[in-house]
Amino acid sequence: MTLKTLSLEQKHVDQGARMAAFAGFNMPLQYSSVKNEVLAVRNEVGVFDVSHMGEFFVEGKDAHAFIDHIITNDFRNAGDLKAVYSPLCRDDGTVIDDLIAYKLGDQKVLICVNAGNIDKDWNWISKQTEEFDIELTNRSESYSLLAIQGPKSEAILKKINILPKKEFPYYSILETKHNGKELILARTGYTGEDGFEVFCPEDYATTLWDLLMAEKVIPCGLASRDVLRIEAGYPLYGHEIHDGVTPLDSALKWTVKLDKEKFVGKTALSTYQRKLRLIKIILDKGIPREGYEIVLENDKVIGKVTSGTMSVVLGQGVALAHVNPELFSKETEIFVNIRNKKYRANFTSKAFVSGGHK
Amino acid sequence: MAHQTPDHLKYTIEHEWALLEDDVLTLGITDFAQSSLGDIVFMELPDVDTKIGKGESFGVVESIKSVSDLYSPVTGTIIESNSDLVETPEQCNTAPYKSWLIKVKLADVSEIDTLLSVTDYHKHCEEA
Repeated sequence: MTLKTLSLEQKHVDQGARMAAFAGFNMPLQYSSVKNEVLAVRNEVGVFDVSHMGEFFVEGKDAHAFIDHIITNDFRNAGDLKAVYSPLCRDDGTVIDDLIAYKLGDQKVLICVNAGNIDKDWNWISKQTEEFDIELTNRSESYSLLAIQGPKSEAILKKINILPKKEFPYYSILETKHNGKELILARTGYTGEDGFEVFCPEDYATTLWDLLMAEKVIPCGLASRDVLRIEAGYPLYGHEIHDGVTPLDSALKWTVKLDKEKFVGKTALSTYQRKLRLIKIILDKGIPREGYEIVLENDKVIGKVTSGTMSVVLGQGVALAHVNPELFSKETEIFVNIRNKKYRANFTSKAFVSGGHK
Repeated sequence: MAHQTPDHLKYTIEHEWALLEDDVLTLGITDFAQSSLGDIVFMELPDVDTKIGKGESFGVVESIKSVSDLYSPVTGTIIESNSDLVETPEQCNTAPYKSWLIKVKLADVSEIDTLLSVTDYHKHCEEA
C-alpha cells in the first residue's frame, strides 16, 4: 500500500521529524523529543499537522436535521457557529467513529472525522441521506489541518492576524480570510489545553506553517499528541472506542441524548446494558501500556488497558482501561499486570491533567 | 546525525556497549540507542546473583511511548546492577557511556569474541 503524503511532508523532514505510517499517511511522529513537545503545549504553544483527518461538508435545507439524525449527541439545539463532539453509531449502537460537527451556517455543516475511518464513515453516512434534502461532499483531500495548541495559542494567532477581533469562544467555529485565502478556524483540539484548529486549502498550509515557525511555535508529532490526549482523559478511536463497543461502554453516556426524538442507534441504546466500563487509573510505579491486564488482588483478570503512557506532567504512569462493570467499583483494589508483576492502580474520576481550555 | 561510539568499547547488534575487565563484562546502552528511544523514563534491571544466558532478556527500558527488552550478549552471573538508574533512568539519555546497567561475571570469556568492534557497529547503525 502506498502511503499518502502530507503537503508539508518536506517541511517535517527538514525539521528533523521522525516519520511513521499512521492511518495510511506518512506522519510526523516526533521532532525534538516527546517530553519537550508535551511541555510546549502545556506551558506555551505547539503545532500539529493533522491534515490526515477527514472533512465532510453537509449543505442544504436539512443539513442540521441530517446531522442530528446520524449522531447521538444533540446538534439541533447547539448555538450557531458551535462545535459538537459526538459518536457516530450504527443501528445496533456500536461506534463507527467519533467526530466533531461544526455548525457553519443554517444550511452548512462541517464534520471532521478520523483519518483511518474516512472511507468507512463516508460509506455509512452517504447511505443515510435518503429522506433529507442535503448535499454531502468529501473534501478530505483538499484541506490541510493545523492544530495550534497551548496557553499561548491565542496570542500567537492574534499576532499573525488570523484571529478575529470579536469574541471567539471555546468549541466554536468561523469562516475567515487570511491574506485573501479562505480558512475555517475552530477553537477545538485534542490536548486539554486552549487551542485552535485551522482548516486551510492544501496550498496554504506551507505559508501558515512558516508563519508559525517564525513565531517559534514548537512543531509537535503524533507521539506527544497521544500523551496529551491520554493525560486529558480523551478516548481515541481504535482504542477506547471501536466497532465492537457502544458509547455507553466507553464513558460517553453524556454524548447519547436519548431525549432526542429520533436518531440512528436510539432504539438499541435505549435499552443497552453496558458490558464494559471505561476508567482512568494512575500508578504509583510502573507504566501501563495498551493490552496489559487489569487484575484483582487474587490475580483474577477484570479488564485491560486501552491506552497508557508515562504522564510527562505527573511523572507517573497513567491509563484508560476497560473493566467488567460487575467486578469493579471505585473502591475495588486493582492492579496492572506488567511483565507478570502486579503494580497498584489508583482509580480517578478526573482528568489526569486539567488543561486550561476556555 | 553523528552518535558517539568510544573506541575502547565493544558493541552489540542490540545497541548495547560492553567493557571487559578481567572476566567481568559491564553493559550499557549506546548513544544511538538512547537517541532512538527518546526520553527514557523507566528501567527494570535484574537482581544481583541472577544467572543469564546469551541472547536472554535481562531487563527492560521504557521511553514515554515505548517498551524495549535489554538482551545479554553473554552467559554469566549478574554481580552488580545499577540501582541508581532505576531511580533516575534519564541518565541514560544524558550520559549513555557513564550509565552502566549491569556487570556480568562471564561463564565463558570466549563469548566476547562475538561482540562488534566500533567499525562493525558503525556499519550496523548505518543499516538500521
